[in-house]
Amino acid sequence: MAVTETKGITDDDFQKFREFFYRKTGIHFDDSKRYFVDKRLVERMQALKSDSFRAYFTTLRFQTTGEELQQLINVMTVNETYFFREEYHFACMISSMLPEIASKKRPGDTIRIWSIPSSSGEEPYSIAIYLQEYWNDLDKFSVELMASDIDTMILEQAQKGVFSERSVGNIPAHVTNKYFRKDKNGMYHLDPDTRSAVEFSRVNLSDSADTRKFRKCDLIFCRNLLIYFDDVSRRIAAEAFFDALNPGGFICLGHSESMSRISGLFKVRKFPEAIVYQKP
Amino acid sequence: MKRVLIIDDAATVRMYHRGILKQAGYETDEAVNGMEALEKAFDGQFDLYLVDVNMPKMDGYSFLRKLREAVEIRQAPAVMISTEAEEHDETEAYLSGANLYMIKPVRPEQLVQCARLLLGERGR
Amino acid sequence: MGFAKAGQRPAEAGDTAEETAMDLPALIRGLRDPEADMRRRCAKDLVSYPEAVHALAATLDIERVQNVREMVMTTLALIGTPEAVAVLLPCLRSDDAFLRNEAIEVLKQLPNSLAPMMEQLLKDQDPDVRIFAVNVLESLRHPSVVQWLLNVVESDPHVNVVATALDLLSEVGDENCIESLLKAQERFANEPYLQFAVRTALDRIEQSKEST
Repeated sequence: MAVTETKGITDDDFQKFREFFYRKTGIHFDDSKRYFVDKRLVERMQALKSDSFRAYFTTLRFQTTGEELQQLINVMTVNETYFFREEYHFACMISSMLPEIASKKRPGDTIRIWSIPSSSGEEPYSIAIYLQEYWNDLDKFSVELMASDIDTMILEQAQKGVFSERSVGNIPAHVTNKYFRKDKNGMYHLDPDTRSAVEFSRVNLSDSADTRKFRKCDLIFCRNLLIYFDDVSRRIAAEAFFDALNPGGFICLGHSESMSRISGLFKVRKFPEAIVYQKP
Repeated sequence: MKRVLIIDDAATVRMYHRGILKQAGYETDEAVNGMEALEKAFDGQFDLYLVDVNMPKMDGYSFLRKLREAVEIRQAPAVMISTEAEEHDETEAYLSGANLYMIKPVRPEQLVQCARLLLGERGR
Repeated sequence: MGFAKAGQRPAEAGDTAEETAMDLPALIRGLRDPEADMRRRCAKDLVSYPEAVHALAATLDIERVQNVREMVMTTLALIGTPEAVAVLLPCLRSDDAFLRNEAIEVLKQLPNSLAPMMEQLLKDQDPDVRIFAVNVLESLRHPSVVQWLLNVVESDPHVNVVATALDLLSEVGDENCIESLLKAQERFANEPYLQFAVRTALDRIEQSKEST
């Protein structure tokens, strides 16, 4: 069946792994990803000193801590963060979601947008830049941007608003020049006005004492976080988001994630730019 | 090539239906519940839906009703496949928008004939 | 207008005024509140009271609002005690598809609590309950898992139950399972679906023998 097999990983091993991984994370690896997957499986087998795929797979399936599964998910998913990552969500925000939200508000009303995890800030600041650049109605409303992460060190870093060349690489040059000042070390400093548009906070999504502070949100970005959660934690997160949103509010997940595996609380909405979820 | 969306929460059943349909010359995609099926249906351009009844999050009847209401989804025939042999289950299937109702496990020839019929292809 | 600056925002965003902590009796009364949002909130806050499982289960019989029902289920899953499992099990037989399917999802998160009743569940009259039991084995770490699967494969009368067991055996089975698989193949000689499932399981087991 397959053209090349990595030593130790047969076609059937790959199938077994693929079905298991899909069941756990919703992420599907097609045949073209064979090399990518095999390489990482072999890495993990070596790390655990498993002498066969079967031995490794048994550990993976039955380990009560779920630690190896976590590790495996980490190596199998691409974790990079950068400005305007998965840009279609931002386009969807401008063209589809905000118009619908705004149509139910009066001028001067608050629109609340929550980005979690904020990581080093690229996502919330991308939203801030996008709104300034592309949303004509920004002046009509009071927009509150909130960004949260469980890691206080990354929050500190995010608040500084300093980024590498790599991080800003996906932004059109004229936009970069408008919102960033490049220093002599080649680092990009985000302008203070944009930085002050975002309020950062430490939040553990599984802790209801943390999440109950978030209410009346109109739009939530939670991209590429829930893949790393177990089933129960995903449920808790979905509940927290449901409670945080206004009726009619939207939530965007990462491109390989789906609410359909997690909770029936939300409605699926298909816009030209993206599929998002809406609180009824 | 015609595309079929196979909707069932059981992996073996999906695999089985996939095998049968591929062999009969159809292209397939899969979903594990009604909600995921809706998401795939939006972009999927499917010619036929194979819908299991009992699924978590959103069952087969709900999926069909939402499918039939959705103006953004290209409408296509749907076969509902169920373990229930009661008449009221079959009636509900048709009321929800199914074109055909079958009891599982299905025999390969049955499934293929139903697909051909609903897709307007000539019988063998 | 435009952006509200960080640190200068009015404090209305969070759950402030409504957040007086309610005690257990108040929360249980709250499960019957006319407002769905309040019922949902009470269901959520009852997570700190394992003794509330019966009140939560009683609510499932009458609650019609989906998001409240989901919250009740989530709370029962988080409580996760043997009592919680005991009140969820009858949902497996419910005529209400939502309850059945939600209970399945939630109980699958509590495999260890189900282990003591596994043999009983695998012999249940209802094939759907037996299928559920086999599905729970997928996440259960227990020395008897493979043997239970083999018992099902060798003697369960229902083709769909056997096929579900075969699905799992393709992942966890080894050469010692081959004989039982062949027996299943004979038992259901006229069932193409089952022949398919046995063949797949056999292929997988053969292949993993080679890669060891």
